Amino acid sequence: MAAQRRQQGWNYVLVLVLVAALTAGPLVVTNSYYRYAGVLMVMYMVMATSWNLVGGFTGYVSLGHAAFFGFGAYCTGIIAGDSRPSVVGALVATVGICAVVGAAIGAVALRVRGSSFVIVTIALVYMGSLLAQGWRSLTGGSLGLDVASLFSFTNRASRHAAYIVTFALLLGVVMVLWNFIDGTKFGMGLKAVREDEDRAQSLGVNTTAFKVVAFALSATFVGLAGGLYATWTGFIDPIFVFSVQISAQLVLMSLLGGMRSLWGPVLGAAIIVPSSEFFLVNLPDYHLLGMGIMLGGVVLLMPAGIIPTLRQLRAHRDPPGASIREEAGAVGADQSDDVDPPPVVGVPGPMVHR
Amino acid sequence: MTRSLFIQSVVFGVLTGGVYALLASGLSLYFGVMRIVQIAHPAFLFLGAYLTYSLHTRFDVDPLLTMPVTVPLFFVTGMAIQRLLLARLRSENAAMMSVLLTFAIAVVVEGGLSAVYTGSYRSIDVDYAKQSFEWFGVRVPRDRLIGLAVAGTTLLVLFGVLRFSRYGRSLRATMQHPDAARLVGVETGRVRAIGFGIGMSTAAVGGAVLSLIVPFFPSGHWEWIAKLMAIIVVGGLGSVGGAAIAAFVLGITEAVVQSWVSPVWAGMVFYLFLFVTLIFRPQGFFGGRLAQRY
Repeated sequence: MAAQRRQQGWNYVLVLVLVAALTAGPLVVTNSYYRYAGVLMVMYMVMATSWNLVGGFTGYVSLGHAAFFGFGAYCTGIIAGDSRPSVVGALVATVGICAVVGAAIGAVALRVRGSSFVIVTIALVYMGSLLAQGWRSLTGGSLGLDVASLFSFTNRASRHAAYIVTFALLLGVVMVLWNFIDGTKFGMGLKAVREDEDRAQSLGVNTTAFKVVAFALSATFVGLAGGLYATWTGFIDPIFVFSVQISAQLVLMSLLGGMRSLWGPVLGAAIIVPSSEFFLVNLPDYHLLGMGIMLGGVVLLMPAGIIPTLRQLRAHRDPPGASIREEAGAVGADQSDDVDPPPVVGVPGPMVHR
Repeated sequence: MTRSLFIQSVVFGVLTGGVYALLASGLSLYFGVMRIVQIAHPAFLFLGAYLTYSLHTRFDVDPLLTMPVTVPLFFVTGMAIQRLLLARLRSENAAMMSVLLTFAIAVVVEGGLSAVYTGSYRSIDVDYAKQSFEWFGVRVPRDRLIGLAVAGTTLLVLFGVLRFSRYGRSLRATMQHPDAARLVGVETGRVRAIGFGIGMSTAAVGGAVLSLIVPFFPSGHWEWIAKLMAIIVVGGLGSVGGAAIAAFVLGITEAVVQSWVSPVWAGMVFYLFLFVTLIFRPQGFFGGRLAQRY
């Protein structure tokens, strides 16, 4: 437990370092295209970490976060329109609306588990897409919507730099929140849902409320990222913002890096976004194929993700430091990250690993 | 006038519902034997449509006569996917991982299709399917009627196999209780692989029908996923009969809303049904408590 506390303390410092490094990035990178890719990367870091607030803690895999991304984009776009002064207000409103809508949708969607939950979240994306294209008077239909920028830079490269900084700050907030939740009773409850929802409930964890709050938080940050995205590109394309591909990218990033760790989604985004851009630029016809093969490969070969796998390797190389429990965790990849006594309150002794 | 429009759209809904029912039965089968949701099912449906298209344009084969080629091919592919990919997933979180894996397969199939056939629309024109005829004052398009006939026949054969054959019995045993089935000598591994093969075969049949009735393009399968998923959840996961009924109900409602309200709301019908089902009866209308957990 103490080791975990220490780790958590260090994480705050490391998050600060990461945010500082990302903020300093534009000083080194001056090329407009690279800065554009940088904005995309940091944006996906924010979204993947937000996705992980639900996916990592509770184990509920959502393929519907693109719905909140698109919803947030349209909220900001519709409220702000093309007047720059109202953009900040629109973003604040977007946060509020996304929190409420996220909680409402979560309350319904989280009534089912496993594959049914995945189905429902996919449906959310299509509902969003249909609404955005059908409700022409509000959204501009399939023609899309023009949105004012948050910043007044006319130079494209400077605007990208400003958005790198904005998204980096947001990333800091989301990561600090994730790290904070990780140690609280709320976080323990969420992890209990992941390990065995029925048992957690029978032991008095209010699983429904916990799940819904986590889902709403996650939806809020993805929605805000969507709103910022809309002001960054200045235009919303309904087919792009409401595409399951975006959700799939978030899942792929978290899975590749490691769903149960703070750094997993960030690492995943840092790998996926540049390689995805590389494919788009050099082999546009094979972009989808490459992404599919990558996702399938990760699921089959490394379902625990890079960070937990590295941790296991270290544990094997350095046996005296590893407890028996850690060794056991290393054998069953499912137990990978959190090897501390599982979070269900009130059960003495080792928890049954099913 | 309005009454005949109503009847017209109901007829149209029944004709589309047959194709939905056929595909949903494949999905229910996958869920029944492996407790997984096969996201790639509609992607294979489109692959089937494209194969039919190629056979038709290259060798001038009638779209419906391509099935003797595509169905066995898909059957073997389905068995291979089950054996080589899905059976390898760890059982602890197989439900989630299988969704992601089949999602990846769907993306690979779509990526392959758009690399080979480009992203533009394709369609098949055959003379006999283009006309429509009047039947008690209702226009019945021939291609859709053929589609319904093919889908209906396939469904009946499928029901017959599941209900009366020895394989069907072992398959139902595997669905109900895999461990007990193994104890009495059912080779559940083989049964599962064959079940997967049969499910994939429905995609091949559906593909031939699809190529006949609508234009198709590589990324069109996503919309089908969402619709079919809504159908099997409303019907109750794992219930083949429930899925078929839900397919017809939703197909008819879609057609009626499409002609009376707007195409946008016709698409929404599926999701509204899905959410209403979740709120009032999360296990679906024909499934047991089981469905809620997977």
